Amino acid sequence: MKRVGPFVLERRLAPSRAAVIGVSVLAVLAALLVMAIIFWGYGVSPWHAYATIAKSTLGSRYGLMEILRRTIPLLLCGVGLVIAFRSQFWNIGAEGQLLAGAVAATGVALYSGIPAPWLLPTMFVVGFLAGAVWGIIPAFLKVKLRVNDVITTLMMNYIMIYIVEWLIHGPWKGPTMRGFAYTDTFPKAAWLPTLPLSRVHWPTLVIGLVAAVLAAFILARTRLGYEIRVVGESPDAARYAGINFLRVSLWVMILSGGLAGLAGVGEVGGIHHKLLSPVQVSVGYGYTAIIVAWLARGSPIAAIMTAALFGLIFAAGDVIKVALRMPFQVTGVFNGLILFFLIGVELLMYWRVRLAPKGERWTGKAGSSES
Amino acid sequence: MRRLVASLFVVAVLGLVGLAAGNIKAGFIYVGPIGDYGWTFAHDQARQIVDEEFDWLETVYVESVPEGQAGTFIDQLVAQGCNVIFTTSFGFMDETIEAAARYPNVIFAHCSGFKRAPNSATYMADFYQVYYLNGLMAGALTKSGKIGYVGAFPIPELKRHINAFTIGVRTVNPNAEVHVRWIYEWFNPAAAKEAAEALIAEGCDVFAFTEDSPTVVQVAAEHGLPSFGHYSPMYDFAPEYVVSGQIVHWEAIYRDFLMKVHDGIYNPTNLQHVDYWWLLSQGAVEVGAKPGMVINPAFEDDLKAVVVNDPMLGEISVYDLVMTRLHQMGDPGVTYDPFQGPIYDRQGKLRVPEGCWLSADSLVTMEWAVEGVVGPWPGEPTE
Repeated sequence: MKRVGPFVLERRLAPSRAAVIGVSVLAVLAALLVMAIIFWGYGVSPWHAYATIAKSTLGSRYGLMEILRRTIPLLLCGVGLVIAFRSQFWNIGAEGQLLAGAVAATGVALYSGIPAPWLLPTMFVVGFLAGAVWGIIPAFLKVKLRVNDVITTLMMNYIMIYIVEWLIHGPWKGPTMRGFAYTDTFPKAAWLPTLPLSRVHWPTLVIGLVAAVLAAFILARTRLGYEIRVVGESPDAARYAGINFLRVSLWVMILSGGLAGLAGVGEVGGIHHKLLSPVQVSVGYGYTAIIVAWLARGSPIAAIMTAALFGLIFAAGDVIKVALRMPFQVTGVFNGLILFFLIGVELLMYWRVRLAPKGERWTGKAGSSES
Repeated sequence: MRRLVASLFVVAVLGLVGLAAGNIKAGFIYVGPIGDYGWTFAHDQARQIVDEEFDWLETVYVESVPEGQAGTFIDQLVAQGCNVIFTTSFGFMDETIEAAARYPNVIFAHCSGFKRAPNSATYMADFYQVYYLNGLMAGALTKSGKIGYVGAFPIPELKRHINAFTIGVRTVNPNAEVHVRWIYEWFNPAAAKEAAEALIAEGCDVFAFTEDSPTVVQVAAEHGLPSFGHYSPMYDFAPEYVVSGQIVHWEAIYRDFLMKVHDGIYNPTNLQHVDYWWLLSQGAVEVGAKPGMVINPAFEDDLKAVVVNDPMLGEISVYDLVMTRLHQMGDPGVTYDPFQGPIYDRQGKLRVPEGCWLSADSLVTMEWAVEGVVGPWPGEPTE
């Protein structure tokens, strides 16, 4: 039991699904409330602001399409990260793995000469492999040399960012781009088809949804999934049971990195149709996906919902910028508030808060736990 | 789907009605934040100026738009009733052309690109003449014979500017060198500071740069060294050390373009060949430490004291040479160009034959480095 001021916190072991959903909704509402104060302070009526956001995102076909477009990379990266996090592999490198996929897809699209019907499938396969390769390097380092996975996966992002910069300024700089740092535009055969009057490259979306279902199946119903869960929940038990850590870690990172790689293929094949500055290819999808996976709490199916939620937040940010004429930084404040509250309520899910009974003496140091 | 088509139709009709009534709603799509004190800041200043000037004009903008999303924001601006849209980054080129096809009744203009359509023009205000003038002054002020240049990206625009700057330097000081460092970012004060410090350690004693902050000016001033401001007036950051600089006036282009749209000279069918390549003589750029101050008075005596021998003008002080060249390039009938042959690249190849000037096309695709440039030069032609 923990005592904080006049309250005591009691541990609850497994929060019920209703508690998880209820508390999460509460967090979003709290964030919206604080944001309303910011709107009001800026001279925009909060009511008008939220009505505009709702109308321009959920309330129009166009807005829905924009949400979907943002959801695609978040979903693919997010499902991959759910798998990694289930095995306690802290993959912070989805951004780099996404870029690896984008690089590989660009190489295939521009330089392979593969004929049209096979070009897009090859881009996806090679993009998956490139993301997987970028993912298994930290896996090797972690299992063989005990190098911290957070550090290696994060640093691998920067290596890939500089590889992309080097490619677009060096060997892959497009002759048709007049010296600007872009590759040439992909041939039309390498453009992903989109839903009519939108930029939703639906093949990648379908792959993302299938990946979520498959990942759920693997985690719940296969031997590999069982091993991933045991490694994640109790490494000692896993070792005792003779589970091969290297094999499990490699598979985890092949799937996690590979899925992020597919997201990269989608971004260059579906949106940009060329390779360009790494901050433009991804706009931080690989990092946002960490939160997508975290909020999905280990469930690939839930990642569909959380990815869509962040797709909505991204799209809402655009509306704030254009329709409400507020400075672009407000978008970051909006996203940050929602995260702040969502992560802040973690505590409420695992601890029950109640008023301390009168007369109970404060015994331990502040914040110490006796339970 | 049907509703979307219907709403697009309504938007198109409203667009036409708006044009017919002579009222213009212009939307601006910016790549950076309006507070960057560089590229986007300058475009937004210009937007505010024209917005004030014309009562038939209303303007809106979107800042910090990532590449690959310009299309989305164009859609939203058109839906809000914009009938003229300016996209202000090279990376928005393809999306602008695609949007122009989507909205045949809306007028587009794309900054710094080379693709046009019947309803989509291109425009650019370029500094190469201004850099040449700054180079003349730098050549006269250097004591070590080494001038530092902090560059953002090794792309033709910067290569053209550094070359023009170096040509100016070597006109006054034939043995001087321009040492170049690239920081691979448009806005990164930390990297710009590091690059400037490294150049100072190499012995450079005068500075010019391309980066969207006044960092290089400030670092040079801390060491008591003169520098040239970039993009915005930077005199106030170091009044004793900013010799001159490059100042942009995008409003010159926006004013001209919007007036011609308003008067019906430009319409969504006749922009295929409209390409603004505006320089000193059109007033789109200015040389100076701040508007109206071509040369900081603190440096006037130094520049008057250095005398060069020009084949046409004879014995002339650098101060007078700068003013003469400014008139030759700034007056409506331009009679001088910095890239006037013979010009050799630093590998000894003749790039501009005797008596010739370069075409605008050769200028915008320039990859070579002129004699006197020292340092890495990615993409330098080998033959």
